[in-house]
Order: sequence, then structure tokens, then C-alpha cells
Amino acid sequence: MTDALPLPVALRRDARPESARGLQAHRLAGGLVDRSRTLSFRFDGRQFTGHFGDTLASALLANGVRLVGRSFKYHRPRGIFTAGSEEPNALVELRTGAYREPNTRATVAELFDGLEALSQNHRGSLGFDLMAANDLLSPFLTAGFYYKTFKWPKAFWEKLYEPVIRASAGLGRLSGEPDPDTYDKGFLHCDVLVIGAGPAGLAAALAAGRAGARVILADEDFRLGGRLNAETLTVAGQPGALWAEQAAAELASMPNVRLMPRTTVLGGFDHGIWGALERMTDHRADAEGKPRQVLWRIYARRAILGAGAIERPIAFGNNDRPGVMLAGAVRTYANRWGVAPGRRIAVFTNNDDGWRTAADLAGHGVEIAAVIDTRAGQPCLALPGVPVFMGEAVADTHGRKALARITLASGRRIEADCLAVSGGWNPNVHLTCHQRGRPEWREDIAAFVPPRDLPNGLTVAGAANGALSLAAALAEGRGAAEAATEGLGFTPAKAPQPRAEDEPVAISAFWHVGASRARAWIDLQNDVTVKDIALAQREGFRAVEHLKRYTTLGMATDQGKTANVLGLAIMAELTGRTIPQTGTTVFRPPYTPVAIGAFAGRARGKDFRPVRLTPSHAWAEERRAVFVETGAWLRAQWFPREGETHWRESVDREVRMTRASVGVCDVTTLGKIDIQGRDAGEFLNRVYANAFGKLAVGRTRYGLMLREDGIAMDDGTTARLGERHYLMTTTTANAVAVFRHLEFCRQCLWPGLDVHLISVTDGWAQYAVAGPNSRDLLREIVDPEHDISNEAFPFMACGEVTVCGGTRARLFRISFSGELAYELAVPARYGDALIRALMRAGAPFDVVPYGTEALGVMRVEKGHAAGNELNGQTTARDLGLGAMVSRKKDCIGKTLSERPALNRDDGLRLMGFRPVDRSLGLVAGSHFVGFGREAVTANDEGWMSSVAFSPTLGHSIGLGFIRRGEARRGETVRAVDLLRGTDMAVEIVSPHFVDPEGDRLRG
Amino acid sequence: MADLTLAATSALGGYRTEIGGVRLAERTGLAIVSIAVPRDGEAALAEALQAGFGADLPRPGRSSLSRDGATRLLGMAADQLFAVFDHEGPDAARGVGAALGTAAYASDQSDVWVALRLEGAAVRRALERICPLDLHADAFAEGQVARTVIEHLGAIVLRDGPHALTLFSARSSARAFLHALETSLRNVA
Repeated sequence: MTDALPLPVALRRDARPESARGLQAHRLAGGLVDRSRTLSFRFDGRQFTGHFGDTLASALLANGVRLVGRSFKYHRPRGIFTAGSEEPNALVELRTGAYREPNTRATVAELFDGLEALSQNHRGSLGFDLMAANDLLSPFLTAGFYYKTFKWPKAFWEKLYEPVIRASAGLGRLSGEPDPDTYDKGFLHCDVLVIGAGPAGLAAALAAGRAGARVILADEDFRLGGRLNAETLTVAGQPGALWAEQAAAELASMPNVRLMPRTTVLGGFDHGIWGALERMTDHRADAEGKPRQVLWRIYARRAILGAGAIERPIAFGNNDRPGVMLAGAVRTYANRWGVAPGRRIAVFTNNDDGWRTAADLAGHGVEIAAVIDTRAGQPCLALPGVPVFMGEAVADTHGRKALARITLASGRRIEADCLAVSGGWNPNVHLTCHQRGRPEWREDIAAFVPPRDLPNGLTVAGAANGALSLAAALAEGRGAAEAATEGLGFTPAKAPQPRAEDEPVAISAFWHVGASRARAWIDLQNDVTVKDIALAQREGFRAVEHLKRYTTLGMATDQGKTANVLGLAIMAELTGRTIPQTGTTVFRPPYTPVAIGAFAGRARGKDFRPVRLTPSHAWAEERRAVFVETGAWLRAQWFPREGETHWRESVDREVRMTRASVGVCDVTTLGKIDIQGRDAGEFLNRVYANAFGKLAVGRTRYGLMLREDGIAMDDGTTARLGERHYLMTTTTANAVAVFRHLEFCRQCLWPGLDVHLISVTDGWAQYAVAGPNSRDLLREIVDPEHDISNEAFPFMACGEVTVCGGTRARLFRISFSGELAYELAVPARYGDALIRALMRAGAPFDVVPYGTEALGVMRVEKGHAAGNELNGQTTARDLGLGAMVSRKKDCIGKTLSERPALNRDDGLRLMGFRPVDRSLGLVAGSHFVGFGREAVTANDEGWMSSVAFSPTLGHSIGLGFIRRGEARRGETVRAVDLLRGTDMAVEIVSPHFVDPEGDRLRG
Repeated sequence: MADLTLAATSALGGYRTEIGGVRLAERTGLAIVSIAVPRDGEAALAEALQAGFGADLPRPGRSSLSRDGATRLLGMAADQLFAVFDHEGPDAARGVGAALGTAAYASDQSDVWVALRLEGAAVRRALERICPLDLHADAFAEGQVARTVIEHLGAIVLRDGPHALTLFSARSSARAFLHALETSLRNVA
């Protein structure tokens, strides 16, 4: 960095003496850390300090920590390899207790005061890992090891191999406790989404923002600027980092621009939708109750990808040793964080960019051990006093737990504690390929670039597009934004293009050092070496997707960001094909790992889905009702009384008291659909199997709806409230499905009908009042001007009434229990008051509130079909309702209900069942089998769909479907349940156990 | 029977609070009446709306105000409007039905919904966490209305102020809806 240039605030040099800077012995001058703010943290129990602006990785390097983890398979010592989210090695367990998160990349973990991290994947200490013995077994642990080894003997798999593999697999440890953090999701909208805030992204955001477009600028880093923060290049005559800071400040001042640092755009989806993860509190010691991360769905009319490029290594012997790092990362640590990753650093490169690392380090006063360039010819930079080896390569490395020395192909040995390696830069094409795009090979930069055919609305700029110089990135970013905003109707603002360097980026492809004898790593995270690729090639796994699965190249948390291209380039070499012929594996979201909690968002525990409550809920809670989930509804299941210890006691009592006098049940949850229009009657005629054309005003009719395929869909009652006004009820479970079906019929099948639907389910509190005294109770509630005598208001009547002194209500004389019964509905606002009034007015009658269990018992006693019978397999004929399918008119499902297979003589029929031994309890789900026959599918005659203990009859009863049921009354069959191990004799009877003639409900 | 008079309770008991500078309150005493447009009856309804309310027939996604400013008509669908106005009783549909005669089919929706009003600078920021709609003033101006799904719940969103929205959602899940809103407000506060 040139001293004459103005420095950004955070770049001010630390004037304090070395001793005052704590133990951070590897700190250099400069960098974008705030040295006035010292943060303390612990790594593997040891206390260290770093500065505000550090990552965990930069702080560890500042303290001279080089060994930070163990490799996946061989448990080899590993150090920090990169300075970004592509890191394969430096994975740690961050935080403690339930907050512990494994596999966190130290290179992107923002340092905060009190941070605690543990190294992972070792038994014993990090320095002495017992599992390192695996490294000695490496000749056996080659590619395909599992597939070859664990096949025999068969019995060993479950007992031995799997437990051993599970114990040694994986990297970090999960806490095993529920994630105590909270997460959120959200939706954002913009004209232009700019992905990446490096030079291309900043230039794009500036151009789009100045043009007036709504812009979102997202970057995974906590500091905007990308490589500008890592380089010594200048923009408009200023240090790049300063220009980036000013650009960010200008963008922050624009109301139409949203800056989103710490936000990884992790996937590109259809129709301009992007997924992004924003880390809200990961850089703080305490989230203070706020969501830790937000998973955003971003709707963008245009997107500009400025994701930059990731450097790739070169494969040579023992290139995984701590101290071997990517060259761009080495100078990032020096330039951005003021940290020297080594005291004596060697550079190994196949391109011009590698030389910049040597130049920058020399500028910081770091000793350069050597520059080794695989290209023959002249050095591209003059570095006084630095030994330069052209046309040379590094063949091996040495050192116990970190690098001490390198050996060149020529045999020369060079002392170095850090080796900066550059094999060239791979544009970050990932997001351009999430919709199955295949990147294209560009020979001049020896790298894949985005496909020409990009997802709609997406353009790529800068290094991600293969434009590797700073000037090119700035120009492409701006150009992409201008094209995007113009396409959206904005006028680009006129601003001068900032001057910047077109630094040399020449490269000559070089993949691996043939002279190396030792193992040469390609994928550091998965311990995949050149030999593994060669083995895969020999064994026929040459297609890249096969190569990936056979060797695990490119798997796990880094998804091969530093390894993939190198691996397939070596496969290309071995097979004699070109790299484009070899191809790439498929890129899939997410770009970097996402905590499962972020995908779950708030949908945890009781917040998994919303709860619907009936108007009598508070009252039922006061009555200590037991509730049951019915879809999203909570319904009272029964109301236990003092002294009742078993649910059956409560339910039996509720049934007995209802049948003896009067009971009240909240039936608000039944779907209610308001149907109006000149053609409403005709509409009902077409959707119901039975006729509705002649239903009189003030009357209600039971209706059965069929699916198009002739199977029963739903049932309920529909009341005619007025000339053009009907009210349909549906079952609770099918309320939404029926409404959707009716809307489909109305809008798509018969758009010519004048019919209009709207749900009023929530608008009315509705109570079933059932039992011989129900009319007497209602006389206390319904205002006296309304005659509800049997003559004036007979079975299936309906009408508007007023209750309790003038409150509007609807009364329906319908019965699900088989008793004399009504349903009374009031606007929901009166629901709480009405249940209390019913209880008070009913006290002289010993009124009982009953829940869904008693409701179910009474409907089984009465033989009414419900959800268990309308299960999507049964027809009207099966249900004994065949006569309801009107022959005089057409309806949905009529034609297909006439299929011969649905009308066989030995078809199923809904019947009642009772155990021959009355003391036995029937089991729902039992299948009917004849005596002396084996209980197998071939002998299956039907099944028991619903059972209940009938307090009215004093024994268990059931409903079920059985072949030729109607003709078999009085016959005895076996009800067999192989799951529960029951097998009992049952008698086939009428499904109507109580009041089969219906005298009660008409009385 | 005098002691059996029924008292009305609103979905959330008139709940109100303030979180992070946003005032959140249940709108009680609000009538909501759905108005279905008879087939081929759009012109007649437009005329009836002018005569009855002095209001224009709004397109779906838009709303209009009656001449006296008391009634807002929300365009909900191609053949459906909601009339929203202050009214205490449970009989709002009758009045609307009487005013429009055979030009419309009215249905009372007052008790179907809970209405929550949010007002404050952070409203949009909070709703980003649960509402898929673009509520930027350029995309969703005052008077605009939309149906959407918020935390699995169907909802109607009406912008009725520069930093104010009225949200309607099903009465039975009012507590869950309120919880979603309050959580969002707290999470961005």
C-alpha cells in the first residue's frame, strides 16, 4: 500500500509498540482491523486476543496458531487454507452447550469478545490424535474403500462396520440438544439484486442505485468490498478498500438501496427468485432474543452476479500440511487483517497473480523464501533479493505438524514456514448453474465461466464472468447494471468510470506435479488425492458424477469449491480427454451450508402451524375440557367432572345424559358456505348426487357429494334460507377442499351460472342441542315470537330467529345424534355468551356439554357415516346411500359411479357389527374373514371402520364395510386385527343401533 | 329471560399494544359485508353503488371510498367486493343488501374476520418476515388491497395510511395471527 494515499479509517497504522499489542506476534502494520478494540477468545481452551474486524482464522494466524483441525479420513493435521467461505480445512465447533455449531468455517466466523471454539475430528488432543493411525492405513483407505471392504461377511455390516463407521464419520459433533436459537424467514422484493459486493457488485449497485432502481446488494462478508479489501490495487487513485468504503457509504445513503452484508445468496430458483441467508447475530456473543439468522426469499426483476472467483491449488506431495495456503488468501491475511501467515514465505504459482502475493508480502516486510513458477521464461515482476525459480515446481513438503521446508522437483530444499500456492482462479459460476446450466471452459484463463444461456433476468459481471482484472470487473459491473435498469425503464445516471488497474492475469494451466512421489491432495476436506482419481479412472469411474461418488471428491461442507476443477482436470489428463469433454458435476443449492433451524424458521413446537379456536373455547377451558386437534381446530373432546378418572366415564355420562335429557356440543368447526345467485339451486343439483332443485325455502336437506370418479367425497346439510340463498355445511376436515371444489366448478366448469360462494365458517358460532328436552331448553333461549313446535318447525326445518331478547340467530332442525335435535347459530361475537346462556337455561334440565367423543359415539349408535367411512375409497352404494344418486338428473360423479366394478353384486356395504361375546371390545381397522379361513388378503371380506362403546346398549358396537353386507344380517364372521393380535367373532347387524325408525328425531 | 341477554365479544377483546414504535390494535365495531356481482350485472352494480354510497366500483386490488368517507369498498376478485365500515350490530349485510337491492348478493362477513391495524415506520420491515407481498409504497400504494397468505393463514392486506395497514384474517385463528404479527414486530424492534 502506498503511504502517500489517504487511508480508510480502519487502515490507520498502529503506532503502539509491539509489546502493547498483546501476544499477536504475527501482526503486521496496517489492515482493516480496529486495533483500539481488543477482543479475547478461546480456542481449544487456550485464551487468545484478536481485534475487532478479525475473523477467527485471522486472529488464530495472528497468534501463530497454524494447526487447527484434522482431516476427515486420515486425520492428518490441517491448517487454515483460505480466507473465505470456500475453506475446506479450518472447521471448528463454535460456541458451547446447546449453542454449539459444528463445521463452522473459522475463515468466515467473525470474531467477538468471548468467542469459544474447539477444533474437531480428533480423538485425544488436536496435537495428538489417536485416529491419525488411519494415515498409516492409507493404502487401504483409498477410493471405493467402503464399497470394496464392507461387503463381507454379510453379518458384520450391522453389528460391526456400521457402528465403527458411524463413530468415526462426520466432522464436528452436534450438541444433541434442541437448537436454542430462533430463526426467521422473510420475503424481499427489488428491481435489481446484486450478488456480491466486490468491485463488480459495488459498481453495479452504484449504477443501478443512481438510476433510481430498487436495489438489494448482498454479500456473504461482514465488510463490503470483496477482493478490494484484500488487494493493494487502487480505484480512482485511492486504495481499493477506501473506495469500497466510500461506495458503501454512498449506497447506504440511497433510500432505494438495501445493503445486506453477512448475507449469502445460496440458490437461484425459477422466476427470478433467490434464496439468501442473512446472519443477524452470529457476530455477537448473545442474540438477545432476536432471530439468529433470516432465510430470505428474494423476488428480483433482474439479478447481477458478482460472486468473484475462488483460487485453486496445485497438487503436489504433502500439499495438505498446515502452512500450505492459497496465495490469494496469504496476501488477504496480510493486506486486510495485518497478519503474516508465516515468517518466511515461499510462493508457488502457475500464473501472474501469484506474483502479487510475493510483491504484497515484500511490501509488508515479510521475508520471501522463494518464488517458484511452473512457467519457463522471465519473471513477470522484479523482486529484489528474492530467489526465483522459473519452470520449476514444488514436489514435497516437510515439517511435523506444520510446514518447515519444501523440496522442489529438482531436489532443492528451501526453508519456509508458509507456502502460498496459486493454480489460477475459478469464477464462481454456482448460482448460474442452479437451474441446470452447464458452465463453459475458457482456455485463455484455464477456467470454467458461466454458460451463455443464463436464467432469465440474470447477468454475470467481473471475476465470476471470467473478467479477472480490477478494471474489467468495475466496467462489467457497471455495464450489467446499466443494461438491467434500462431494460426496466430507468435512465442510467451519468457518472465517470473510476480509473483502475488492468493488472496482469496471464496463466498457463498446470494441475499437478508429476515429480511428486508422496500423496498429492486434491480435495482437502475429503482426503481425495491424485492417486484416488487415478484409481477411479482405472476402475472405470470416469464420468465426473461417478468420479464424485466413488472418491467423494467435492462432497461435504465445502462442496469441493477449491477441489472440483482440479480433480476433473486431472481426470481429463488421465483419460486423454479435454476438460470441457470431461465436464462438471451438477451445482445445487445451497452455496454454503445452512443450519436446519433456518429452514424451519418459526415452525417449531406449537408454532408449527396456526391453531383455530371455537367461540366457546374460553368457556370450555374453564370447564377443564380435554381438547383434541381436528385439522387446525382445537375441539373439546370431553368435559371431565370431579371424580372421573377415565375418559370413558366422562364420555359415557355425556352420551347417557344427552339421550336422557339434553346435551350441547360446539359444532362451529363444520364448514359453512354461503351460496347465492339466480342459479344457486341448479348449481347444488349438479354438485350433489341427490336432487336439490325442489328444496323449499325454510327447509334443510342432507346432501352427498361425489368426486368426478364416482367415489363419495363429502356430506353435509344444505339449508335454503331464501329464494336465491343457500347455506351449505361440510365436514370439518373437508371444509377447505369442498370450498375449493365448488369454486372450481363455478369458475371453470359452469362459468355461465350465476352463483356466488363465500365461506362463513368463522362467522357463526354453532351449537348442536340434542336430546328429548332440546326443544324445551330452546324455548328458554329462542324469543317467544318464534314458534318452534314440532308442527311449526318440523324435522329438517330451518329459519332466522332471534334469541335471548333480540339477538339474530339461525336455527336448523337437524340431528347427527339421532335425538330430537337442533343446531343453533349466532354471529361468532355472541358464541361465548350463548354457550353460557344455554348452560344456565339448561340447568333445570340437567343439560350436559358433550365433546367430540360423545358426538362420535352417538353417530356410531345412529349409524351415520363420518370421516372413517368417507375415506376416499367408498361409493354411495357402499355407504347404503345408493338410492340418493338421483336418476333424474346429472351430477358430478354420476357417470363414473355407474362403472360395473363399483356395482358388483358382491360389493362392499356399510353394516353394523357387534361382538358375539358382548364383553369384548371391537377394534377399528380389523378385517373380516370367514371362519376356518386364513387371515390373508385373498380371504379379506372388508374392514371395521369405526367402533365405540355404546353406553346406550352396554356393549361395544362397530360400523364397517363387508361384501354383500345387506344380505348377510345375522351372519357371524371373524374380525381379525393382525397388528394388535385380536381375532373375535362378530355379528353382522343393521348399522342403525339406536332408534332405527327415526321416531326420536321427528318427535 | 332478561338475564340471558347475549353480550358480544370481539375476537381479541379489543387488544392493543405498541412494539418498536408500531401501534397494533384490533379494530372492533367494524362491519364487513361481501358483495357478489351478479353475472352480467357489473354496470347495474356500479350504478347502485353510486346511488347507494356515492362510491366507484373498485377493480380487484383497489379500493374506493363512499362520498361520506364512511364506507370503503375493497375489490377482492373479479366478481366480489367487500364493504367495510364502522358499525356495531351483527346485521350489517341487511343495510347493504337493502341499499343495493337486486344489483348485488350481500353476505355478512363481520364475524368471519379479525381486523388488526398496524401503524408505524417499522411496519413494512416487520411484515417482510411473514408477508410475501411487496408492500413498498411504490408497489402497494394507499388504497391498494391484496389477498395473501401469512404464516399459513389467509389474509387481506389494505394500505390505509402512509405507514399503516389494516390486516384481516380468520377470526378463529386470530390469536395465532396476532402471535405472528407480534413476533415479527419484536424480531425487528
